[in-house]
Amino acid sequence: MNTSDHRDKSSRRAFLLSTGGLLSSAWVGTHWSAIAEAAHHAEEMAATPAVVSFQFFSPSEAADVAAIAAQIVPSGEAPGAREAHAVYFTDRALSTFFAGWASDYRTGLADFQTKFHAANPAAASFAAASSDDQIAFLKTVDHTPFFETERTLTLLGMFTSPKYGGNFQGSGWKLMSFEDRHIFAPPFGYYDAEYTGFVPYTEKSS
Amino acid sequence: MAHQFKPSETVDFVVVGSGAAGGVMARELSQAGFTVVVLEQGPRFTSADFEHDELKYNFLSGITNSPEISPQTFRDDPSHTAERPRRGNSLVYARMVGGSSNHFTANFWRFHEIDFHERSVLGSIAGTGFADWPISYQELEPYYTKVEWEVGVSGLAYASPFDPPRTKPYPMPPLPVKSSGVLFERGARKLGLHPFPAPMAIASQPFRGRPGCAHCGFCSGFGCEVMAKSSSLYTMIPEAEATGRCEVRPESYVFNIAVNAAGRTTGVHYFDRDKHEQFQKARAVVVSANGGETSRLLLNSASGRFPQGLANSSGVVGKYLMFNQGGGVHATFEHELNEYKSVQVTRILHDFYLADPKRGFYGGGGIDARIGGQPTGWALASGADLPLWGTAFKERLESFPRSMMSTGHCTSLAVETNSVSIDPTLKDPWGIPAIRVTYKDHPDDLAMAAFLQERSYEIMQAAGAQKVQRTEPRRNRGGVHLLGTCRMGDDPASSVIDKYHRTHDVPNLFLCDGSSFVTSGRGQPTMTIQALAFRAADHIGQFAKRNEI
Repeated sequence: MNTSDHRDKSSRRAFLLSTGGLLSSAWVGTHWSAIAEAAHHAEEMAATPAVVSFQFFSPSEAADVAAIAAQIVPSGEAPGAREAHAVYFTDRALSTFFAGWASDYRTGLADFQTKFHAANPAAASFAAASSDDQIAFLKTVDHTPFFETERTLTLLGMFTSPKYGGNFQGSGWKLMSFEDRHIFAPPFGYYDAEYTGFVPYTEKSS
Repeated sequence: MAHQFKPSETVDFVVVGSGAAGGVMARELSQAGFTVVVLEQGPRFTSADFEHDELKYNFLSGITNSPEISPQTFRDDPSHTAERPRRGNSLVYARMVGGSSNHFTANFWRFHEIDFHERSVLGSIAGTGFADWPISYQELEPYYTKVEWEVGVSGLAYASPFDPPRTKPYPMPPLPVKSSGVLFERGARKLGLHPFPAPMAIASQPFRGRPGCAHCGFCSGFGCEVMAKSSSLYTMIPEAEATGRCEVRPESYVFNIAVNAAGRTTGVHYFDRDKHEQFQKARAVVVSANGGETSRLLLNSASGRFPQGLANSSGVVGKYLMFNQGGGVHATFEHELNEYKSVQVTRILHDFYLADPKRGFYGGGGIDARIGGQPTGWALASGADLPLWGTAFKERLESFPRSMMSTGHCTSLAVETNSVSIDPTLKDPWGIPAIRVTYKDHPDDLAMAAFLQERSYEIMQAAGAQKVQRTEPRRNRGGVHLLGTCRMGDDPASSVIDKYHRTHDVPNLFLCDGSSFVTSGRGQPTMTIQALAFRAADHIGQFAKRNEI
């Protein structure tokens, strides 16, 4: 326990230091504790990926949300939302820095589950349904505010910094072939490597 | 060393705001020998504070005016009650020393001659306040040159056959072309158009003590980590402080401009970082708080003598808000572009800059080649042709390194009902009445945006794209280009400031920022905001020396 406490404290401290220049800002006043908590949770996740309790979701809600996310960005050869732990990001976001979205989200999720059950009475839950049934149902709700929010959270959970609890081990960035570096040098891509220079125009505009 | 003044000391100038215009004002007036206090509502950050963090910067108001601290309401119809937007604010600006010059993309086109006298050429447009500026391009040209050389702009002079006349080349060569620029140039030239290297307020090589760009890719919406972006924070502010006559006071939130019995301003009331009220005395006040906050400050400074708001005898303070319209396409190519690296834009074209009555609507604009956002922003893009989820969406995500955007940027017409006003009930955490935005795009603005989107589509097809996808035509419900709300003009009955940025009503009160604009230009306003600030500071300094303030 002592070791674990020590790790917790030092990881919080490391995060504090990494954002040290912001400590005087109003931004910190608004978001600091939520962000620190999310970052701490992310570190915990990285250390113990298998056993993490959800704060916002019940286990069955988490299963449904993970299943929706996995249809938004399916698993496969390249990582999808499941591999990026998007649902953990969503759970942390709704219980910390996006707590303001939580009430609408919960109502939307309950409505989603009710509608799904009405359309698929044989399935125990969205998560338990076949992929084909999930896709067919999502096509009927993919322009609802709830789906838009769920899509936003899933993508934030896949592609924002891993320190917020998603994008597990940079899997979202791997999917997009994005390198998080601070210095690059030309050529940046295939086409600029073969560019021979700007040729001036000889004509004059009227 | 930066000088510290006491609020009770009467300084020559108080400048409200430290952004693109406020920074230039501070530097020019202090270098001219005046004492200056700059009051900035936001905190002061350094380059070491900036991060590659899309969640923080784009979703948690990392450096921008958050809805918690600076709430606003919005409505698209003046007969409706405005409501707080579900997420974010309508008018967005960076709330920190250097203002939005920290997080801008740094596109630095000059306006063309036509922008200043287009009303005379085309005639009036029904239902709008379309008007000429009281100044010409020729009057502003020396100050555009000053921005390029003293703030720092990279570009290639005379490259575009449509460029307005200039007296000097750029001080730095253009930034290295990206694959998006190469492909855009290829497609556009095939169509007989004239793409050219984009002028950018980003150092392409070491410049005035700052390093050249490190090509990290996080410009748009982010602060520059290496000080290559020519923000006021890195350019004008330190040079102002180096005079020993200028103090930049962060976390100092001005909420009222004081006026005496003679109708002259005596200084400004502000809250310090501890939320204590202070009063800074000054001989003259310059407001450069941006096209939203400048109007709000004037309207909140109403008094018995100025019942409609300060400097608002015309009734047009806050009116004629413009954002610029635009829209683009996503394009995917065979090989990697890696657009997430380096600056957002390296090629643009101005072939459609002029309005053309044959199109059947008013408008003009430019088109650029650009990154479609860093990973999260790019993934979240939605629109007409874009898949939103599932296997096709995942394929789109995987095509990120092979993708780019081509985007049009164009005019917004000045419409009187589009405005910044004071919300009747909403107040900020300091108890100061909040901004209410009323805005609906003029149909011609939407038509011009759609026109440029089609030209972008053609250019990307001509460039050999495997796939071209349109984004959703977007109705503006806010923006980052905050223009036109305290318009400049010769007639005190229809404008707020004169051609020297002096308010018609208060002789020692000046306004200079995006609010001064009479027309919107074609999409990239900050270059012109800074040129106006250099010109205004020049004249204001001369007035002060001649005791004419």
